[in-house]
Amino acid sequence: MRLTQLTSLIAALLVAVGCRMEAPERADAAAREANTGLRGMVLSEAPPRPDFVLTDARGDEFDFRAETDGYLTLLFFGYTYCPDVCPIHMSSIAEVKRDLGAKFARRVRVVFVTVDPARDTPERLRDWLGAFDPEFVGLFGPTDAVDAIQLGLGLPPAVVPDTAAADYMVGHGSPVIAFSADDRLVVRYPFGTRQEDWLHDLPILAGE
Amino acid sequence: MRWWCSAQAGAWDWTWQAYPGVWLFVGLMAGGYVWLGRSPVGRGSRRHTASFLSGLALLWVALDWPVGALGAGYLASVHMLQYLLIALLAPALLLLGVPAAAYARLDGSPVARPLRLVTHPLVALAMFSFVLYYTHIPGVVDEWMASQVGSFGIDMLWLVAGLVFWWPVVVPVPERPRFPPGLKMGYLFLATVLNTIPYAFLTFGELPFYGIYELAPPVSGISTRQDQQIAGLLMKMGGGVILWTAITILFFRWFQREEVA
Repeated sequence: MRLTQLTSLIAALLVAVGCRMEAPERADAAAREANTGLRGMVLSEAPPRPDFVLTDARGDEFDFRAETDGYLTLLFFGYTYCPDVCPIHMSSIAEVKRDLGAKFARRVRVVFVTVDPARDTPERLRDWLGAFDPEFVGLFGPTDAVDAIQLGLGLPPAVVPDTAAADYMVGHGSPVIAFSADDRLVVRYPFGTRQEDWLHDLPILAGE
Repeated sequence: MRWWCSAQAGAWDWTWQAYPGVWLFVGLMAGGYVWLGRSPVGRGSRRHTASFLSGLALLWVALDWPVGALGAGYLASVHMLQYLLIALLAPALLLLGVPAAAYARLDGSPVARPLRLVTHPLVALAMFSFVLYYTHIPGVVDEWMASQVGSFGIDMLWLVAGLVFWWPVVVPVPERPRFPPGLKMGYLFLATVLNTIPYAFLTFGELPFYGIYELAPPVSGISTRQDQQIAGLLMKMGGGVILWTAITILFFRWFQREEVA
């Protein structure tokens, strides 16, 4: 085979492979969009918006159902020392919220419930969330109560290691749960959700 | 142990990691140069040696920890720095490190014909551009950087494309009398224009292009979008500095020769 033919063949193969290449989670998101119009996983048996009261980072009681009623609500369970999933989710949501503007921001609530209250002090939680978006709400509560909320949403309770070390990791569920503003849809967003997916879905869930 | 830098799932930490594949690669290149220097034809001046070793050192920095590891899976801006070092800076220095006599000896060899074809300025520029565009397609980056073989493949594509790109400009064999300094400067100028499209996408894109960097554990205080913008600016400005420096050197050498003539 001549060099030019070989070069052409390699180039054609590279182009073909390059055009086809798509990470598996992108293909999943595309399939979900084709089925439901949303890139997140729409829960067919949607749990109702949970009814619980926890404490926010200012020390005030936060009645989740009452405070978020009528808003598109994104609920996430994580911890501020989390090296990957938590900051990536929060950063992505904050970026997209800014993209969608003030009108959208008035229609959304982002609630972060810590699963590591031993280290996530109110000040730390407020500062950490504030670095993403000052409007994000951080909540604390007894471990039993937080576990029960997660179980009610089909999420595994967090696993905090029994250790004296200060730099332990907490095992916790990675999805963000979205409740549409009209409560008709509950959607799970796994880790791997891209900003373009949030940008696509959030206006729909907010009813815009 | 991993042999080549690729994206990893864990959070970044500054604990040193060994990448023996990188050492082997750098060692083989150094060994090849020593072997070349054993023959009278391949023995270069100190300037040649300094140039080759500088290129090799840059290559090593770009491929090994921490730059290689950060660029492979954490920061798009560091990935771009790798591109500049591997595809633009190191190849020019490596080629400048080989004495003219060694290049001249290639003339009679079986590789002479295909080499002449591949290093024809038009072919070289097309190949370099193709590699530039292809290796910055989001799907390619996300897929290839996830494995050590893929990441190695991208690094090698960059290096080979860089060597091919610089060959018509740097290699001191008068085999292309129709490629005078003026055309060489035009050739390099074209290269500065060609990176404008990926630069524009990266710098002005509203959303992160690369899933691998968007979903990577954060390393510094900068956001994914800022990281991508820095990557775009590095491509344009860093690439511009390298190419315009070469254009300037060519111009002054040309000017000096004209003065003497």
